[in-house]
Amino acid sequence: MSLKNLLRAVLGNYLFKRALRAFGIIVAASTITFFIIRLMPSNPIEIFINQMMSAYGMSYEDAKAMALALFTIDLDKPLHEQYFEYVTNIIRGNLGTSISISPGTPVMNVVTAFLPWTLFSVSISLFSSFLLGITLGMIAAYRRGGIFDRVVSTVAAVTSAIPGYLLGILIVVFIGVRFGLINYMRGAYSAGLTPGFNLPFIVDVFLHLAAPFTTYVLSTWGGWMLSMKANTVAVLGEDYVTVARAKGLPEGRIRTQYVGRNAMLPLFTSLAISLGFIFGGSTLIENVFVYRGVGRLLWSSINARDYTVMQAVFLIITISVVVSNFLADLIYSLIDPRVRVGG
Amino acid sequence: MIELETKGTLTVNEPVISIDNLTVEYVSPRGVIKAVRGVSLKVYRGETLFIVGESGSGKSTLGLAMLNIVPRPGRIAGGSITYHIDGRNVNILDLPLEDQRAFRWKNVAMVFQSALNSLNPVLRIWDQMYDTIESHDKHISREEVYEKVRRLLYLVRLDPDRVLKAYPHQLSGGMRQRVMIALALLLDPKVLILDEPTTALDLLTQKSIMEVLKNIKKELGLTMIFITHDLSLAAELADRVAVMYAGKLVELGDVYDIFYRPRHPYTFALMKTVPKLTSIDEELYPIPGSPPDMANLPPGCKFHPRCPYATRACSDVEPSEEWLTPSHLVACHRHRDLSLRVEAR
Amino acid sequence: MSLKNLREATRIYLVDPLKLISRKKSGLVALFGLLIYIIMALFGPYLVPLDITPKPGKRYLPPSLEHPLGTDFEGKDIFSQIVNGAWDVLYVAFLASSFTILIATLLGSISGFKGGFVDSIIMAVDEILLTIPQFPLLVVLAALVRLDNFTLALVLGVLSWPALARAIRAQILSLKERDFIEAARALGLGLKHIIFVEMIPNLLPYIVVSWILSMTGAIYSQVGLVFLGFVPFTSHNWGVMINLAWTWGAIYHKDSVWYIISPIFAIIFFQLCTISFASSLEEILNPRLREVR
Repeated sequence: MSLKNLLRAVLGNYLFKRALRAFGIIVAASTITFFIIRLMPSNPIEIFINQMMSAYGMSYEDAKAMALALFTIDLDKPLHEQYFEYVTNIIRGNLGTSISISPGTPVMNVVTAFLPWTLFSVSISLFSSFLLGITLGMIAAYRRGGIFDRVVSTVAAVTSAIPGYLLGILIVVFIGVRFGLINYMRGAYSAGLTPGFNLPFIVDVFLHLAAPFTTYVLSTWGGWMLSMKANTVAVLGEDYVTVARAKGLPEGRIRTQYVGRNAMLPLFTSLAISLGFIFGGSTLIENVFVYRGVGRLLWSSINARDYTVMQAVFLIITISVVVSNFLADLIYSLIDPRVRVGG
Repeated sequence: MIELETKGTLTVNEPVISIDNLTVEYVSPRGVIKAVRGVSLKVYRGETLFIVGESGSGKSTLGLAMLNIVPRPGRIAGGSITYHIDGRNVNILDLPLEDQRAFRWKNVAMVFQSALNSLNPVLRIWDQMYDTIESHDKHISREEVYEKVRRLLYLVRLDPDRVLKAYPHQLSGGMRQRVMIALALLLDPKVLILDEPTTALDLLTQKSIMEVLKNIKKELGLTMIFITHDLSLAAELADRVAVMYAGKLVELGDVYDIFYRPRHPYTFALMKTVPKLTSIDEELYPIPGSPPDMANLPPGCKFHPRCPYATRACSDVEPSEEWLTPSHLVACHRHRDLSLRVEAR
Repeated sequence: MSLKNLREATRIYLVDPLKLISRKKSGLVALFGLLIYIIMALFGPYLVPLDITPKPGKRYLPPSLEHPLGTDFEGKDIFSQIVNGAWDVLYVAFLASSFTILIATLLGSISGFKGGFVDSIIMAVDEILLTIPQFPLLVVLAALVRLDNFTLALVLGVLSWPALARAIRAQILSLKERDFIEAARALGLGLKHIIFVEMIPNLLPYIVVSWILSMTGAIYSQVGLVFLGFVPFTSHNWGVMINLAWTWGAIYHKDSVWYIISPIFAIIFFQLCTISFASSLEEILNPRLREVR
């Protein structure tokens, strides 16, 4: 293959295009953060400098020098150079240093201490909710119009109409307070336990997971269930399902290979996209349960006026969405033969 | 263009399928719609029977009913469909589900109308061939299956190496329909039902599919039931023709009777819609009026609102089926006093 | 617009839909519920004045005839707070979803009609906004800018238009292909006719349903921000009540249960009414859906 052809193949490649787009969006998102930080009427750098000056009596120059060190933005340089530096720093993974939550620690370290907890709690909930939703959705589709379908569909519509964090509050009020279980609804594990791979700690972690898990699942299963039901009903009307029956295939095979596979296909994309919103969608529920994840960290960073942490959390939330959208495309092109094309 | 070919006379009049008083209905918000209203019909071994009629006449539903796979919200409300195969008489409607599953495709297979949607988009053609055989014969080896599939694909003039690896969307409409035909022949069925096998295809593809079907008829000698509105196809392939209107048989006879000596005004009108060989630019005669609303059928003979010969009796009483000769059946009040002549072509 | 046209328009856009919705029971119930909320927001303060005097002796009373929903941590009537808190929530929801619809319709139709470069630009911005998680961005903004009700609604509108604009663009693209538009064009009926007589009536049902539905999103974000304490408590609303109940110990005391669940259920019922009304409306306005169900 000549170099020209190779180049054309790479540039024309579906995945390459998607990757390029994902990269473009990450740059766009960091640009937005840059503008928020640098150009807002009350931008955090100015706020920080003023705070330092009034609280510790620093001179403007000293405070500014400190801000420069923390934010990795040099205010004296021309705007476009500041911007360029900022973006390259982000790409290198240098997000500055924490101001107040853990002064002096690189922001990356602060964030990575919280990240796994969100990843753990939300992904378990997400997969459970997905499985529950598609199972019930498929059963409802097979029995459409029946009592099971009506009850489950109605409950699904109602629960998915309620904002998740309000469900969380109700769980705290009606179960936590009433039955004295509130201690299991505060935090990711009991105070005083040292994190480690020992049985008491793991049991404790799962006990603390119960309430946020229930909340996530309750507020999201309905959406999965209703779309799975709609997809399945549509697929059941397809000719190839009738053909499969005519062919005398066993019902189990029709259900999995003919109905299930085709009905679930579009949902995998939604699942991958939801994976991206693991960090972005956890803000409110984590605050209801004081769960030590990125959503809680975002809240703490704002309350503590730790702008570098805030900026990093926001960026990571966004990047995770971009990356999983990219993965969604990748997965879809792997599981749906119709888009499995090189060009 | 119509061209009747000489048919070999059927030597043995032995039925393979006896349909008796079959009724199929669909439950819709507008009420119960009877798509098939008491059809009785025998299909003989080795013959090619055409079931013709306008869309909505219930002919496709009849085809699905023969395999007992009428999709929801449809259901078979009465009657029986008895297969006479290997010296046994089996009413498919009475079989336990698992036996029905095993019965289908092995004894009776079907080629469906839309080649586009008949194949599962996420499985390769090979997988859809293999799962069909495997669910009827657990012990067959992959090599045997491959050998068989290859032979059948050659029969429908497809290149096995190319087709088997492909997903449906990678094949053209004509190729997909050939795949469906090969798939239908996979288990050597005794009966093959073809529901509008050429409708969704362009003219050239239609022609080549027809060649394939003729070839199959000649080589395999199986019983074929065509469900179609395409009368030129009937003229080329049919031994007998059944005409359906509003869910009922209105006429049934051998292909010459139906084409040259129709006794039902609807059949007569249908024949007049076929362009003739003698002159190309001759006028066509579309049937006046529109097909009946199945949810709201007229009283009496269902064809009377469109029938130029209708009398009082036609709008009051639905005519019963009458055998004119041992092979020619008609359901019309006026079959005795009408002389319907179709010019020789 | 002549009188005849006006009458015609009233019939198409007001009388007929109302007639249709009266046939669907759940839609009617939801409409009735929404009307109660609207009346509460508009006239509530005149009917049930806000109770602002702390009465230390009457803290956390259970519901009674005098206090239908009990009293809060200062002995103030909860019911009056619910009634008076409706305005804020509905105002922001109404305004935010109106901004959303306005921006989405405008940009979506420009994108769909113009195509080319303009389309690419709008769609690129659309995709970026669609990718950035809305709520965290709101939280960050709220930390830096003072968000009063109007600004909050505006920001919500600016952040929420992308999905809808995309859908409207797709609808316009498909409408452009359809026969009746072609026919109208061939008849030389002019752009104005095509837009106002053919396109808008076809898009309107969709836009109306989205307008109602996007209120639920606005409420989710608004109440969430107030709950987290990132929006200044300018007045009394349900979000503020939830926040106060939460910080005043709803998590430890059973007696404050009425104080916290009243605003929560006020919001939940509003969301349910909105969604149920929107989906009945959709079913009524979209004949295809009607047949399927």
